Amino acid sequence: MNEDNLDRILKSEEDLVPSSGFVAAVMERVREEAAAPAPIPFPWKRLVPGIVLAAGLLSWCGVELMRLGLQDLRAVAPTQLHLSTAFTGTVGQTGWVTLALGVSMATWLLSRRIVGRSGLL
Amino acid sequence: MQLERRDACPTVGKWRILSETALKTNGAQGSDQDLSDVERVLAGDVEGFEGIVRRWQGPLVNMAWRYCRDRGRAEELAQEAFVRAWRGLAQWRREGIFSTWLFALAANVFRSELKRFPSVNLPLEAASEPSRPARQHNELAAQQSSDAVRRAVMALPVRYREPVILFYFHEMDVGGAARTMRIPEGTMKARLARARELLRRRFPHLEDENRALKLADREA
Repeated sequence: MNEDNLDRILKSEEDLVPSSGFVAAVMERVREEAAAPAPIPFPWKRLVPGIVLAAGLLSWCGVELMRLGLQDLRAVAPTQLHLSTAFTGTVGQTGWVTLALGVSMATWLLSRRIVGRSGLL
Repeated sequence: MQLERRDACPTVGKWRILSETALKTNGAQGSDQDLSDVERVLAGDVEGFEGIVRRWQGPLVNMAWRYCRDRGRAEELAQEAFVRAWRGLAQWRREGIFSTWLFALAANVFRSELKRFPSVNLPLEAASEPSRPARQHNELAAQQSSDAVRRAVMALPVRYREPVILFYFHEMDVGGAARTMRIPEGTMKARLARARELLRRRFPHLEDENRALKLADREA
């Protein structure tokens, strides 16, 4: 970038000298922080089994839904037709509903991220 | 809290004692001091942090001042940055230069604090263009011009304002400014170019003056 008027003006910035009590003020805050008891850490260890259990449960539900949704409907016995039709129809729809919810969630997260970056949140 | 103001900026170079270039020549001593102070603090000696504050108070207060243009708030912001640095001292990776880490942390603090409680800035269009007084008042004209340009910088969108602030804080070192913002140099250059374009569009007479100066230089 060439040296021009903008550079000249913005380069020639005045210099501020911190007030005489600045170091003392910072050190006072640092000492207070050091003297304060350490914050109680978040109990991740206690939470881990819950997270693992929930993840396992969700995965199992997902696998079951997929398995049921993809099952061959022609294999259903004629005697059970009235029951199985309603059931498989519901299961098939559940997959789509789950997918729609997933897409909505992803869209919501993406929009929040974009808005957050733009400084509006 | 009241800060003193110096008319000129003769000691800006002292801030850069730990920049990459200067480190090769005369910054090793300061770097060693930072390292030993950090080690003292990490070993549990809180007082070791005082050396760091003493060495870096000037740069951090001045950096904060460029972000907010409010002397009292600049000290508050710098103080917050020091406290955050103290808390996160263990996160400084020793292979990196301490000042680079500190400036990046401070920029982050200033950015987030000013996002929470923004300083009052005019929109760029509202930044008044300086009038042109008679030639005998050149000094006054220059002062007005400088003030107007600085106000306009503060009125730039954040995306372009911060690169400009850091570019001139780092004495026009694109690499230093990019490292402080933790963005690639190419992005920094692009944002700077856009910011300069916005400023030039707002103050076209600066470009005219520039051309006149260059012409005068060539003729001389």
